[in-house]
Order: sequence, then structure tokens, then C-alpha cells
Amino acid sequence: MYMSIEELVADSVSKKQPISELIINQECEKSHSSREEVWHEMEKNLEVMRAAVEKGAHGKGVFSKTGLTGGEAAMLRKYRKNHVTLSGDSMVEAVQNAIATNEVNASMGVICATPTAGSTGTLPGVLFILEKRLGLSDEDMVRFLFTASAFGMIVANKAMIAGATGGCQAEVGSASAMGAAAAVEAAGGSAQQSAEAFAMAMSNLLGLVCDPVAGLVELPCVKRNAVGAGNALIAADMALAGCTNKIPADEVIQAMKTVGEGLPKALRETGLGGLAGTPTGKAMKERIFGKNEHVAS
Amino acid sequence: MTATTVNYKSVFDIIGPIMIGPSSSHTAGAVAIGKAAREVYRDDPTKIVIHYYESFAETHKGHGTDYAIISGILGFAPDDARVPDAVNIAEERGISVSFIEEQTDSPIHHPNTAVVELSNDKHAIELSGCSIGGGTIEVRNIKMEGYDISPTGTLPVILAIFKTPEDQDKFNKDLAEMSIINKTQKYLGSQRKDMLLEYELDTRLKADQIKALSALTDEMIYM
Repeated sequence: MYMSIEELVADSVSKKQPISELIINQECEKSHSSREEVWHEMEKNLEVMRAAVEKGAHGKGVFSKTGLTGGEAAMLRKYRKNHVTLSGDSMVEAVQNAIATNEVNASMGVICATPTAGSTGTLPGVLFILEKRLGLSDEDMVRFLFTASAFGMIVANKAMIAGATGGCQAEVGSASAMGAAAAVEAAGGSAQQSAEAFAMAMSNLLGLVCDPVAGLVELPCVKRNAVGAGNALIAADMALAGCTNKIPADEVIQAMKTVGEGLPKALRETGLGGLAGTPTGKAMKERIFGKNEHVAS
Repeated sequence: MTATTVNYKSVFDIIGPIMIGPSSSHTAGAVAIGKAAREVYRDDPTKIVIHYYESFAETHKGHGTDYAIISGILGFAPDDARVPDAVNIAEERGISVSFIEEQTDSPIHHPNTAVVELSNDKHAIELSGCSIGGGTIEVRNIKMEGYDISPTGTLPVILAIFKTPEDQDKFNKDLAEMSIINKTQKYLGSQRKDMLLEYELDTRLKADQIKALSALTDEMIYM
């Protein structure tokens, strides 16, 4: 099983196969499943992602029970129609797709966790804009998800992907880096360029804390996925242009782990520090759950 | 490629699960902890007590951990539309449900910890699970029928009691062909004399494989 990005890149070069192919083979071998079974399973994930992207931006959008989040993907869709956007229509559409997905998640809709539910919008944010920009087929899109998973498995096994253990850098940071690496392969870049994109994307989000207001996967989670998607596209473009991270991807993962372990508990998904600890954040928590959150119910 | 014991064994641990929001660790992972407790209990409980620790204690209400864990105990999948209504469904079935926010550190040393107690007038079990991210869980302690079992990694885990040593040999041989066995531990219980074997596997098994293995045992639990 691949336990480092260095190994993944070396194998891709020596076998003259894209990373997506290497990880499909690993999965078939490990699970004693046929290529068709594994492929079909990933196709189902793609369908769920597509449905969430559409549902979240449709009409007035979707809203969470608490009212803290919702309707902003739809706002972005409308804004794109009526305005000259500052960062370009593709970037704003990526943001819209990311936010739509996380709004569906916050409203207790059906999503595909990639790698987690809190970071569920980042990969779709990248993927569905690439579908348009690069004219990706469904097959290319399924491949994108396999490539992303190859990098994600290494992060999950070598460091962590839970906000409670590593902060948001482990969730949106990981998702963004996975998306950057997969975007490079989808655009025809090399395995080494995927590794550079991964390293740049993760480096850019190192230290990001997990500070959900009232402990809910809403504020700031939904909008952090917009940044995750944008950051992935930026890192992928830089890698395709030939920029490198200088610090190797595997060492960036190790750094993320060390930073995550050093984060105080208040900034690891306890809903106590960061934005959750602001006067407004605390007032929201009190409004939603009342004052006696700590008393056993 | 090297064979290493890892927590995330499949691409679908990373891309997936398909689930009802809002949190993979606190919702989908909680469904998985509930499901593991259901597998161990193999009966309908009349009483469910959930103890939460650390991040789970602080944020279970916001993340829907309550309905998620009850969904698992009732046997719902993470993407079942009944998930958000599971606590009501359990209470309608006459099951007493309570949630306790513990103020101490997790007894199994993870911020996302739930200890599940299931009981009825016949028997009781206790299962301590933690949700390590992306919907993947570890079951770190099980107390059942006088056994005190401490698995050391992520699922899948098999607990088995055999009638004869020959059955056990055949089981070991067949299982080794289906999956790498990362670890095997033996337990003696305080109530019954039979030795219980715990196997930690590298690969999920398919339904027909589980059935074939089960036929070689006196009792078998697959989580």
C-alpha cells in the first residue's frame, strides 16, 4: 500500500501510469473486487456530489435548521449572472459549487464526505469547474476522484483528517491539497507536478484551526470550503506552470501533523475557541442550545 | 508496495461515505459506533445509555451525534432518510434513551469518544468507540458476557468462539485467504469458560465470506 507521495510519484514514472490507475489497481487488489465494482462505487460518489452541487444553488438554495447558513450558493449564482466578477467567472463558480455542497451538508442533506463532511465542498468545487474548463468526461471525473483519494489516504494514514485531532488544516487543508493534485492530473500534468500542487496547497493552509460556532458544521466551515477550492485551483495552476514547493509533499504532511498535534483543544472542534469563542459566536450558541450546554441531559 | 497496518484501508474511506450531514466524524462516525454496538449486542435493547467525552461531549448536539448513534443502534445506514429522526423512532419503540456529557478525559484516549451501554432484562454490553475522521472509527473496548476485549485498530474486527480446535484451524486458514490478519488476541471471560478470539483484519469481508466463516464457529460477531 502506498504510504508516501514519493513512492506514488516514483511508481507512476516507472510504470508509465497515471496515479489514478495505480490507486485503482491497489483498491482492486486489496478489496478482492473487480475493476468494474470499484469503478461503479466511485461513480455513485460522483453522482451524489453532482446532485448536491445542483441542489444547493437551485432556486433560493437550501438552509440549515439553525438559520446560521444557507442560500449563499444561490446568491453567488445570481451574482455571476448580473455582474462582472472580480476573480473571474470560473473561480466564482468553483466557490458557488463548494458552498452549495456544504450548505446541503449543513441542512442535513445527502453528501459524499471527501475526505470529511466538514470539507465536503472543496473537491466538488474544483471538479465541476474543471468539467467545464477542460471538457472532462464522466470517466475523467471518476479518475479525478481516484487520484484525489490516493493523496488523501496517505494524509489520513500518516497524519490526520479530523478537525478534532488536527484542526481545519487536516480537513479543508487535506481536501484542498487532494483537489490540487487531482486537478493537475486531469489537466495532463505529471505525477511530480501533482505532488508539487499538493504540497503548495497544503502549505498554504497550514495552521488553519477548527473553530465551529456552537459546534455546528456551519460557521466558518461552509466558506472555508470556498477557500479550499480556490486554493486548490491556484496551487494546480502554479504547479502546471512549473512552480515548485521546495519542501517535499511528504514533509509537508509531517509538518501538518506536528502543527495539528500542537493546536490547543479549544481550536480542535470543541466549539470553544477561535470564531466560536467570539461574543457573537457565543451568543449564537446560547440562542440555539440555551445556557446549560454542559449539564447532562 | 509494503504491507503496513493502516487505519484508512480503502479509497472509499477517503471519497465517501455517502451520508446525511453535517459531520463525518460526529455523524457518520457516530452511526458506525452505534452499528458496531448493535453487532455486538445481537438483540433489541430496552435501554440505551451514551456517555460522551471531549469533542463529542462539547458538540454532540450541534453535530447530530445523538440521532446518528441511535441510528446505528437501530440498524440505519448513514444515508437513510430516517437518520435525523432516530431518537424519536427509538422512543416510540419503547426504548429508554439517555445521553451523558462526561467532563473527564476520554477513557480510551481520543477526543471523539462515545461509550455505548445497551441492555434489556436478559443481558447488557458496553462498547467504547472513537471516531477518527472521515466516518472511520476504532472500537477500543468491548465488555460482553464477562469478556473484556480491547481491539487496537480500525474495523473490521471479528470476535469468535469455537466448538473444536479443528474448526478454529480451518477458520484461521480460510480467513487468511480472505484478508491479511493484522492481529489476533485471545480472551478468557469471567462468566463462561470458552476462549474468545479477536481478529483484526486488513480488508472488509463480503456477505458470503462472513456466512462461510460463521458456520465454523459457535458464536461469531463481525464488525
